[in-house]
Amino acid sequence: MTNFNQSNQEEQIVVFQLMEQVYGVDINSVYEIIRMESITKIPRAPQFVEGVINLRGRIIPVIDLGNRFGLGQNERTQNSRIIIVEVSGQTIGIIVDSVQEVLRIPVNSIEPPPPVVNGIDAAYIRGIAILEERLIILLDQNRILLDEEKDQLLQANMGAAQA
Amino acid sequence: MFSDLEIGVFIDELEEKIQVINDGLLALERDESNPDIIQEIFRAAHTVKGSSGIMGYQNMASLTHEMENLFDKIRHGEIHVTSEMINVLFEALDTLKALKEEVTGEGPAVDTSVVVEKIKAFVTGGDAAPEIPEPPKENPVASVKAAATVRQWLEIGDVEENVIREAELRGFQCYRIAIDIDRDCQMKNVRAFLVFETLQQVGEIIKSEPSAEDIQEGKYDISFQVLLITKEDQDQIKNLMVTISEVTEAEVQPVLLNSIEAVIEQPKAQTTTTINRPVEQENNAVKLETTERKTVKTVRVDVTKLDNLMNLVGELVIDRTRLNRFAEIFESRFGSDEMVEAINEISNHLGQVTGDLQEQIMKARMLPVAQLFNRFPRMVRDTAQKLGKEIDFVVEGKETELDRNVIEVIGDPIIHLIRNSIDHGIELPAERQAAGKNRVGTLLLKASYAESHIVITVKDDGRGMDANKIRNKAVEMGFVDRETADRMSDRDALQLIFKAGFSTKNNEVSDLSGRGVGMDVVNTAIEQINGTVELDTKLGAGTTITIRLPLTLAIIRALMVTLGNQVYAFPLTNVSETIRITDQEIRRIGNNEVIVVRDKILPLARMGRLFNCAECEESSKMYVVILGSGDKKIAVVVDKLLGEQEIVIKSLGDYLGQVQGLSGACILGDGKVALIVDVRGLVKDLGAEEVAYAAG
Repeated sequence: MTNFNQSNQEEQIVVFQLMEQVYGVDINSVYEIIRMESITKIPRAPQFVEGVINLRGRIIPVIDLGNRFGLGQNERTQNSRIIIVEVSGQTIGIIVDSVQEVLRIPVNSIEPPPPVVNGIDAAYIRGIAILEERLIILLDQNRILLDEEKDQLLQANMGAAQA
Repeated sequence: MFSDLEIGVFIDELEEKIQVINDGLLALERDESNPDIIQEIFRAAHTVKGSSGIMGYQNMASLTHEMENLFDKIRHGEIHVTSEMINVLFEALDTLKALKEEVTGEGPAVDTSVVVEKIKAFVTGGDAAPEIPEPPKENPVASVKAAATVRQWLEIGDVEENVIREAELRGFQCYRIAIDIDRDCQMKNVRAFLVFETLQQVGEIIKSEPSAEDIQEGKYDISFQVLLITKEDQDQIKNLMVTISEVTEAEVQPVLLNSIEAVIEQPKAQTTTTINRPVEQENNAVKLETTERKTVKTVRVDVTKLDNLMNLVGELVIDRTRLNRFAEIFESRFGSDEMVEAINEISNHLGQVTGDLQEQIMKARMLPVAQLFNRFPRMVRDTAQKLGKEIDFVVEGKETELDRNVIEVIGDPIIHLIRNSIDHGIELPAERQAAGKNRVGTLLLKASYAESHIVITVKDDGRGMDANKIRNKAVEMGFVDRETADRMSDRDALQLIFKAGFSTKNNEVSDLSGRGVGMDVVNTAIEQINGTVELDTKLGAGTTITIRLPLTLAIIRALMVTLGNQVYAFPLTNVSETIRITDQEIRRIGNNEVIVVRDKILPLARMGRLFNCAECEESSKMYVVILGSGDKKIAVVVDKLLGEQEIVIKSLGDYLGQVQGLSGACILGDGKVALIVDVRGLVKDLGAEEVAYAAG
């Protein structure tokens, strides 16, 4: 993304909906999109972990993004999807209300997150794309799992190891 | 610069030669004048010197050069091997290992000067001719003649020499082989043909005496000789030869030319010598290429690739199960018609193929246990020397193959068991003699297959374990009370050594014991990979410890149960039985629920509560699985028992890491994920209280 000629630069994003908000995530990090399937719950796992699924022989953890963002649990419908993304070297699934389209957006339409949005929420937002009437929140997929949560997981693990 | 591939080849060769020198030194310690061993070490040092010189590792080249010098003198009988010398040579070997690590970037820079000086001292000190610091630069034929015995060996011409040098650079070795055929042999040409056939399978024959045609027509007396270029070792070839019937004697002698560098310095001189028979030489060169390709039959594969393959096979297995179910549904709906038959047939065939595939991939993950076992002779030697004990260390079944993960896990436990045997088991030579035993103790390390298991045995003929002593010690350490201890059978009493923190040796702690690995840790490590440890000991006659391990870690048998609407798996090695109980059978001790099974109090865990399962029903009649890990047992309430099944273990991934109470997951026939219960953790959590009940 360090190109000088930014006006011609485009980015491809996968656009999805979550709790009446429109989000986008870099297509390069999206492994695939699958329909909802039965999720095996993991007892004693951190609350934002929904469970695990079988993705063609691989066990993939799934998180509920709504829950993760503190928006509350969304309703599972026919349109619900699991987006499989690579997050800092790990493959995880994120549950979203629906996947809308794949969009090409010019890089220069991306604004930094507005100062109003700060605190923990700002941490996972890479920017906001403004396209005519639409407003797409661009997620920084690498930060979906925050450091403190990584620590939390780590501590849970250490607890298990010590027990 | 050299490519990674070339460096990799160099490292592989180096490791191999280090092993050769290691084994050679150990053998030399027992048989100080064995010319074969001396020759072998000399050759190994020589090879390392050559290749490290080419690669530009000067320290390594100069160290091995000194070793080569020393062994050159030894093999010519100018110096005799002393135990002091062997100690220094082991030091040199350690330095060589450190140098290897320096090359691979695993270790810091190594200073070789001290050990080089020590070796030099032997070379010059016990030497009649100290004025020759370099190895004698004889011509190759002469040096070979010096090593030759009565046999008149065939001459090596320039052409052959050239080919041999080239082969040496590629890591091949040339041997002169003399074959004696039984004088009464009826069909000499057939025997000769067989010999040629066999040799050509392992290498390339570059010359023979008499000529190949004459030999194959039987035109020879009782013996003929060949020059063979191969990667096999001397013994291997000899073995191959003597197994051919009517071959009475096969003498295999490595051909030694002087150092490899010489070739590089004088390539032109050799091109002139090829005029004699240039065609043949060219042929040989081409042949060499092909043999090389033929002998390199292995590929290095990243383990994760094998894991991925295994995953894919796992999916095939799942699909096959689904297909099977489909067939069943069809059958119940349409009866048995042609279509149903066809589906059944496909499903069966798919099952066979996936089964074979699974087995083959699993085999690809297997490594010979030699990798691990080869480390031990040196360790036994050092330990025994330190403790003043004499030990004959026997290793059997090195070729037994184990999953590489298993090999990693069992390394430490075996080290501990061997140390135990040397330290606690085998007595001092004088003590043994007084007891009417051989001064030299025997320690056996053996790996073998038994049904679907691998059995590793560590056996010594030492003093054995005294059940009474263990009882007393256990009471003293507060593990059991006196009454319980006295009531224990000897067998049960011996099991006490597996308790955490138990040690019989407190008065004289050697620097070998107390490394933080007790028998309990051995037990835990083995159990972790679903293996078992058995102890058998006889006072005064020795101890045998038997470790049983599954062939692979990837697939286990498990008891499947349901909890709410989810399926959980208990590894079958931890399940001792399943029972049904009613509400009335549950007793309480404090806040804890317990049940009594055959006079034993077991803590009772409700899995539904443990795992916060909302959908779990609690009825008055319930299924209970009794789980054991080590000597602890607990009872666990589940919703339903589904039965036994083979499962492919998968990790929950780094993201989730190790979730408490779970050890992994597996995929069921319907594609859903079942979680595998970490029984050891569970038992440890709940079993801690059991000791309290037992005492109270």
